[in-house]
Amino acid sequence: MNRRVYLDHNASTPVHPEVVAAMLPYFGECFGNPSSIHAFGREAREGLEIGREQIACFLRVGKEEVIFTSGGTESDNLAIKGVAGARGAGHIITSQIEHHAVLRTCQFLESQGFAVTYLPVGGDGVVDPDDVRWAIRPDTILITIMHANSEVGTIQPVEAVGAIARERGIPFHVDAVQTFGKIPIDLDAFGIDLLSFSSHKIYGPKGVAGLYIRKRTKMVAIQQGGEHERRRRAGTENVSGIVGFGKAVEIRSREMDAEAVRLTALRNRFWAGVSARVPEVRLNGHPTRRLPGTLNMCFRHVESESIVLGLDLKGVGVSAGSACTSGNVEPSYVLVAMGVPLDWAMGAVRATLGRDNSDADIDYVLEVLPPLVERLRSLSPAAVS
Amino acid sequence: MNYSETLINHFRHPRNAGMMRDHDGVGEATFDGCGDLARFYLKVIDGRVADVRFQTYGCGPTIAASSAGSELAAGRPVAELLTLSEAEITAALDGLPAERVHAARVVAGAIRTAARDYLARRERSSEAKAGRHV
Repeated sequence: MNRRVYLDHNASTPVHPEVVAAMLPYFGECFGNPSSIHAFGREAREGLEIGREQIACFLRVGKEEVIFTSGGTESDNLAIKGVAGARGAGHIITSQIEHHAVLRTCQFLESQGFAVTYLPVGGDGVVDPDDVRWAIRPDTILITIMHANSEVGTIQPVEAVGAIARERGIPFHVDAVQTFGKIPIDLDAFGIDLLSFSSHKIYGPKGVAGLYIRKRTKMVAIQQGGEHERRRRAGTENVSGIVGFGKAVEIRSREMDAEAVRLTALRNRFWAGVSARVPEVRLNGHPTRRLPGTLNMCFRHVESESIVLGLDLKGVGVSAGSACTSGNVEPSYVLVAMGVPLDWAMGAVRATLGRDNSDADIDYVLEVLPPLVERLRSLSPAAVS
Repeated sequence: MNYSETLINHFRHPRNAGMMRDHDGVGEATFDGCGDLARFYLKVIDGRVADVRFQTYGCGPTIAASSAGSELAAGRPVAELLTLSEAEITAALDGLPAERVHAARVVAGAIRTAARDYLARRERSSEAKAGRHV
């Protein structure tokens, strides 16, 4: 049996055992509907509000500014469509490397008559705040920029963008799904009005996420139903999920800083090992302004998926930078926007580290990865010619 | 993605991988959808494939299909390879997921091209020989 090493923490994380323990009562004894006024409902409501309190406390905001959704995608949809719906028309500024939850929501709004500017990024994946400033029009109703990119981990200058947004009185939404609970977020200092964040990226359960909505932000609900979540999001709350999410955040608040330092060192050691052992490999994204555990590399003359499969057979889980769907391999749109040449972009591999990864895990990957790349290159006509 | 054990075995231990300098026929095929490229070299004795080698750039299934295709080609009359089908490659891998059928297509295409190249060369050389007799 091979060793098993999970290096895909930007995709999802294992639920922390303390989180599981906190959730369990909410499947059985505290199963009530939090909207019910009897004791069963009140017990569920109490769990729900503890979760909200834990998250509001972590973000240093009012409880009434935090609402729960079913996932990061819904949070992004609600933030963007909610603001757009309140205005009815106008212009939105975003970047070319946002998550699909933002990009496709913006594209949908374009089809509904809104105008959207998709800002380019530099070779390191960073949005230039000056580009934001120049893109602003009299009818700009929203700026939405991610905090860190999930593929390459580059951290955006949200503080500078937030200052511009505030100066011009434009609501600023930040998709922080990849940074929440991993690096500090100061909503006031960053000038953020709406923040999307998710549970399963920080050792909480799947199916639950949050949206911070600064007081007095004008927005409408995007689904109709009951009066839940201060009429921002209709639907019975995922109580057990929210309880687990709150617990996960509480754990992150004690572990986050030390973990960021540890993962940065581990990731740097990983990259140093790969670049010393494998020729023709490049690092994608900003060298230092990057998520602690994220490493994105391109191996020239090898296709991403063959590396992912080869590592999978050795018990190592990483993700491919290019996606093959129905026989079409698309290089990552993020890498394309960053100007990574196609023959490199097709060999992109993302490894994202987390709390269970050790030095021994990285040693093992450094043992199996170089011979795998060498073997695949020996098969490749591109590498020979 | 669920791959058969046979496919995984070919991916882990590709048969007949590498280049052949003194080949009698060579053929390439690419799949534009994803940039996969397979190149097959044939050594032919008495009309049969005496040796075969491949070089492939692509995903795991395309590498595995190349290995399986090389085994299908070895020892066969070259004329038979002109009609080698994707289905035969897929069967030799114990199946391919629907999203990866291009792997069989690119390999079958490369082997058929190599077979045509061999036959065209033989025709040219026999014409040349016939020419000398006149």
